[in-house]
Amino acid sequence: MSDATLPVAEAERPQRAPGIWRQSWYRFRRNRAGMLGLALVTLVVATAILAPWIAPFAPDDQSAMLRGAARRAPDAVHWLGTDRNGYDVFTRMLYGARTALVVGLGAMTIASIIGVTIGGLAGYAGGMTDELLMRFAEFFMVIPVFVVILAVVRLFGIVVVGTWLENIPNLNLMTIIVLLGCFEWPPIARMARAEFLRLRHAEFVEAATCIGTPKRDILLRHILPNALPSLIVLVALGIGGAILAETMVSFLGFGDPKAVSWGQSLYFNYEALKVAPWSVLSPGAALFVTVLGFNLLADGLTDAFNPRLRQ
Amino acid sequence: MGTARYIARRLIFSLCLIVGVSVILFAMINAIGNPIEILLAERPGITDEIIESVTKYYGLDGSVTDRYFTWVGSLLRLDFGTSIIYNLPVSEMLVTYGLETLKIQVPAIMIALMISVLISVLAATRQYSRIDFGVIASAMVGHSLPGFLLGIILILIFSYSLGILPSYGAYSTRNPLWGSDTADALWHMVLPVSMLVFFNTATLTLLLRSSLVDVLRQDFITAARASGLPERRVVFGHALRNAFIPVLTYLGILFGLMLGTAPVTETVFTWPGLGALYIMAIQQLDYPLIMGATMIITVMLVTATLLTDIAYVAIDPRIRLG
Repeated sequence: MSDATLPVAEAERPQRAPGIWRQSWYRFRRNRAGMLGLALVTLVVATAILAPWIAPFAPDDQSAMLRGAARRAPDAVHWLGTDRNGYDVFTRMLYGARTALVVGLGAMTIASIIGVTIGGLAGYAGGMTDELLMRFAEFFMVIPVFVVILAVVRLFGIVVVGTWLENIPNLNLMTIIVLLGCFEWPPIARMARAEFLRLRHAEFVEAATCIGTPKRDILLRHILPNALPSLIVLVALGIGGAILAETMVSFLGFGDPKAVSWGQSLYFNYEALKVAPWSVLSPGAALFVTVLGFNLLADGLTDAFNPRLRQ
Repeated sequence: MGTARYIARRLIFSLCLIVGVSVILFAMINAIGNPIEILLAERPGITDEIIESVTKYYGLDGSVTDRYFTWVGSLLRLDFGTSIIYNLPVSEMLVTYGLETLKIQVPAIMIALMISVLISVLAATRQYSRIDFGVIASAMVGHSLPGFLLGIILILIFSYSLGILPSYGAYSTRNPLWGSDTADALWHMVLPVSMLVFFNTATLTLLLRSSLVDVLRQDFITAARASGLPERRVVFGHALRNAFIPVLTYLGILFGLMLGTAPVTETVFTWPGLGALYIMAIQQLDYPLIMGATMIITVMLVTATLLTDIAYVAIDPRIRLG
């Protein structure tokens, strides 16, 4: 019923140019690499949400060990085989998507909050504040972040022993997420600063200032939404980067032993690479698909938001 | 602002960076309390006196600020202390292991640079052709394939399946290949270097191709072509030189990335380098070694960044200094 009346209503409305989001979506849809990235990311998200329903086993099911079926090659029961701890590799791979997304989203949420605050402040305030904040950001871009994260994760694990922090579930994973967030913000801050600088003297901002809009509203409701497209690209890139970093930290043995993550699987099974390569290759492939998905998505978004860059 | 002043400013900033990292590192390490107590905690027959004397031996008594300045003072004399676990001078260990790391990273970045120049010229001069799309697609995939996964795949293929290349270590413990130590060392380098080359080539190619495409569209290239220069000289002489500027800045970042992820690379190949040493140090809480290794990695990274900053100005005088 309402379907039938819709075209008429559409036609009667005055023609309005589609907004920036809709225009970007039109451009994005034509970008094959970007759409592939979107498909891969959707696949990972769907896997993470549906893991309990599609996984053939429980993530902590080690019963294969008791049957003497650990490190068994892929067959009809265990689609991707079992690993040296008797876990079903396919199940662990599916559940790993949850940890990966929690890490990626968590780290980038923290990074975005820090980055937008610092970058926005630097861009809007200018002068000495700008100089100091950007030097501070540069500091984090030059230091060997990965190496420092490894040391902090290890040392923090010792510091918390005997304090109330010990009772937080998955504390180790939380530490990694917070650390990644605290170290991955500088690119976001730089972009936010550049955007705020560009928009500070835009006509619509001056118009808003003229009619007496409070500063806070100018920053949050006029400048920030216009800076979002460039920031979203960086966040998409950063999610892939954070997932990769968590996997590497776990692969080196500094991850959360209680978490079901791809890095943990790689760490526990790397010794058995020769006898059970499937238990290493499966989480590796999942990681690759995820990182590739986010990279392609970010690439497609760049083209969609800044059509002038593409010639 | 003059070039000299710019370089001076970068130098001072680099020094501040190094000092900043040293303070953070020192504070962090001290937050865990006396490392000797933790190290000796689970050994039987350890009395408080022993802990006290060992603490004194490693200079871990006294106030935090005193110890920081003693530490910085000895760092300036290139004295990194003695490793608690290995009982060797840290500076000696850092040199030995650091050279092993550079041994695979420097050739890798050189080879990657050469390969990516060839590939990106091939792609950029045939923009939007099948070759170009193929290059972009494979570079994108290679850029997203985490290095250590590629390392694992290489080991599976060349060491376990074909059995032609060694999967771990930098040397054979006995029976070196063809009875020659040099050949043996080179043979062990093949897999780790290939992995790093692949990783760097993908990223460099993406960057160099897009930079080259931009440059080839500029007026001075048209002018060079119009004046009758052969295409080869236009591309290699004029375009490539200008396309290199963004790549050069990226080389420092790439080197930093390689150095930063050396712990992962060297774990995959059980390579006796700085990254592997670092992992051992933090696993075993080898206090002087952790601090020494972190400082060396930081100094190497900061130096690389500084050099690229300077090279950037030297190559392109149009850069606005600030």
